[in-house]
This record gives sequence, C-alpha cells and structure tokens, in this order.
Amino acid sequence: MSLTLSLDFQYKTTMEKLWSALTDANKLTKWMVNVHTGQAMENDFKPVIGHHFQFRTQPTEYWDGIVDGEVLIVEEPHRLSYTWCSGGEKHTVTWTLQDLGNGKINLHLEQTGISNAQALGGAKYGWSNWCGELEKVLEQ
Amino acid sequence: MSENNPLRDVFDAIADPTRRRLIRLLAEAEEIPLHELTAQFQMGRTAVSKHLTILKEAGLVLDRKVGRETRFRLNAAPLREIQDWLAFYTKFWSTNMLRLNQFLEEEEE
Repeated sequence: MSLTLSLDFQYKTTMEKLWSALTDANKLTKWMVNVHTGQAMENDFKPVIGHHFQFRTQPTEYWDGIVDGEVLIVEEPHRLSYTWCSGGEKHTVTWTLQDLGNGKINLHLEQTGISNAQALGGAKYGWSNWCGELEKVLEQ
Repeated sequence: MSENNPLRDVFDAIADPTRRRLIRLLAEAEEIPLHELTAQFQMGRTAVSKHLTILKEAGLVLDRKVGRETRFRLNAAPLREIQDWLAFYTKFWSTNMLRLNQFLEEEEE
C-alpha cells in the first residue's frame, strides 16, 4: 500500500536552471528552508545515485532538525528521486520536470511511502480527500 | 492528540475501508440506528458493530440507546489530527516552491 502527496508547480525558467536549483547543494540552501523558522537547511546533496545526504536545521523541542536521504534516480534533466527520512517517517520524494514550451516548466512533486504503519492507511484516505482541496487552494 | 485522550489512534481507525464508509454514511445523516447501517454492508450486525466500536474508541463515533436500538452519530473532530499531519507536508513544499520561484527569478536578473 502506498500513498502519495502530489503537487504541481509552474516556473518561468529553463529545464537546466530548474534542474540545477533542485540538485546543486548551494542552490538548494536558497530555497529548501525550515518552514517554521525560515532558516536555510544546510545540506550535502549531490545528484549521484546512491549518495547519502543530510539536510540540517536548528533542532526544536519536537524535531531534531535532520532529514536523511539517499539519491535513487538521476535522469537529468527530467527526473530526480531520493528518500527523505525524518522524525520516524521514511518517504520517497520524486521530482518530474516537463517543458511546457513558451519558457514554462512544470515541476511535479510526488512524496510517497509513509513508514508509520498506522498512519499509512489513514494518510492514504486523507491525501485523496484533502490533497484535491489543497491543490485547488494553491491554484487560487 | 485529541482532547478526550481516546483509546485508539485516529489513523488506525480510518485505515479500514468499511470504517471509512461508515464515516461517510454517518456524515450524511444526523443519527443512524445500527440496523440501518448494517443494511448497507455485506456483513453481519456483529461485524459492523465491531467496526463501530473501533470508531468509538478513536472518538469518531458517539452512540446512544433509544429504546431497544442503538443510534450512532459522527464526531468528526478527531479527523483534525490527520489534516494537521497532512498540512505539514503540503505547507513545507508550497513554502519552499515559492522560495524556489524567487530564487529562479533572482538568478535571471
């Protein structure tokens, strides 16, 4: 059983620039931030299959501030996938880039695989119900 | 965690398709007696009753006796925990996607 967070974003850019923003460690710190504090998350990401990386931010009372991952798929410049482990959850994040023409790129995010057995079924139900709504909200 | 400190995790309670259907049925009516709920399923009264007990333990269902029948109604409040859990991941990525957009624009300049 698998559940998925599925989100799409569109950017006015090129495939190369977006790929670089998703894979270059220095560029990642410019936008992969701790949503609670807004602080950059230091990382040692590399777009190399099998590479183990960490994203780190200030720990809080509820979270040690560490995300561990391993790179699974590198298909420049269309697809990138890695594991995303944090707070007892092990997810897989997969990015798919698609050139829409006219200088627009669609960026698709899928986050799958909740490791918590109890949350698994519940989350699947929740995603299917709420993600649609949340996506609509994001589109507004 | 939910306010009443329920016996059961709400994620566990909604993991089963029968229980999700029960929630949906109860969401559409104010109060439904057990025999009417049972009529909606290809299973016996005891099986449906067991599922309702699990929902009750998670605080999702409230029941009361009216004469000889038991009537059930939905208490959707514990579902909030699931929504909060989901919202974290959505918020994480949507915030970061906005920043990615800013970053790409800055690079352009």
